Amino acid sequence: MSECDSVRDLLVLHFEGELENEEEGRVTAHLSACATCRAEAEGICTVRGWLSDPKLFAPDDNYGWQMLPEALAARAKAERRFWLPLSYGSTGWALSIAATLVIGFGLIYWAGRVADRPVAATVARPPVAAPGNEAFLGRIYAAHARAETSEYLAACQDLLVDTLRAEPSCDERKYDVSAEVTRARDLLHRKRMLDPELGAPEVARAKELCDELEGFLLNLSLSEKCESRDKLHRMERYVRKQQLLLRIRVLQGEL
Amino acid sequence: MIQVQRGDMAAYRELVRHYQTRVFRVIRAFHRTPEDAMEVVQDTFLKLFVARDTWERKTSFCAWLYRIAINASIDRYRRGDKGRTTSLEDMVEGQVEASAACRRPEDPLEHVSATERRRILEDAIRRLPARQREVISLRYFGEMQLEEIAEALRCPVGTVKSNLHKAVTGLKGILFKQREALGYE
Repeated sequence: MSECDSVRDLLVLHFEGELENEEEGRVTAHLSACATCRAEAEGICTVRGWLSDPKLFAPDDNYGWQMLPEALAARAKAERRFWLPLSYGSTGWALSIAATLVIGFGLIYWAGRVADRPVAATVARPPVAAPGNEAFLGRIYAAHARAETSEYLAACQDLLVDTLRAEPSCDERKYDVSAEVTRARDLLHRKRMLDPELGAPEVARAKELCDELEGFLLNLSLSEKCESRDKLHRMERYVRKQQLLLRIRVLQGEL
Repeated sequence: MIQVQRGDMAAYRELVRHYQTRVFRVIRAFHRTPEDAMEVVQDTFLKLFVARDTWERKTSFCAWLYRIAINASIDRYRRGDKGRTTSLEDMVEGQVEASAACRRPEDPLEHVSATERRRILEDAIRRLPARQREVISLRYFGEMQLEEIAEALRCPVGTVKSNLHKAVTGLKGILFKQREALGYE
């Protein structure tokens, strides 16, 4: 590469003031001696002068520049309400991740506790509706109420059938209903937990029947371990008269 | 900018007022119409606000701002403005032909009106390769140091110097070629 080529490669940086002292001295010395390179340098200097024109690529006055900061501030303010992640910053992100982990492990621990509870106490609570998504949670609530009520009615049905089919096994021709009494007590407890669900309009018809069954269960839960045939007959007559088994089956079909 | 990070909207308005023209000039070379460039300016400042917490004091604010502006230009290009952005070969050639048909002054670049000269120069800048255009826009319209340009473009300072040299000599070449096409010298 000739000295001229070498110097021409440095001319732009020479005018930008970006050369080291040694290179700067070499360029200056060469330009003072070489007319061709001096002409080249003048051309570059002219182009740089035009590029320094403040009106080059400048916007027209009619773009509403005066209004732009105000308009952008309003838009930015509006977007701020719906935007979260980047504004957290690194500390915010660290805290968010930590909080998420704590909540996550808390939920896992809570779920484990719920799974360990006795059967009679496992009637799950319905989700609590929050403002703004009532419709969505309402549907979940209704489905939950129907499922719980249907399950409860099935348990009552089994208990009624078992009670009416009890065989004499105690002394003096009495009937051992001790297991049924225990189950009746469990179902009474379960009914109390089910009452909030029974307030849902979707299970309004079932609520009436469940209340009637509650009377029957209360009567059964107060029975002796060994009950007389007469009392069992009275229970059977009540079940037939009120058509409890038939109504349970019909309602289960509806639910 | 620190006040903007705290959510101070008055500081944000002042920041927009201070930089809006410079950002417009930097990205104007990438868009065919000023209206497109204007929209990119707005996108840039909105993105700046949204991402304000990602700027760190130890880095150059100008480099960060123009990085956003260049990315906003690229986004706009990708969104479907391809037909409206800067493939300007035909446009410049058309102007050369049109000018050649007119009565010729002694030197088309020295004696044309300032407005006409600006238009010729703007078109010449648009004909540069993208990276050279970025460097020249950031240097002359964004008024940035070479180190800041390197930070904004995420490349070594040596690459910036090399592209700046190529851009200025390239511009000179385009303008002199145009002068030859018009029949001078």
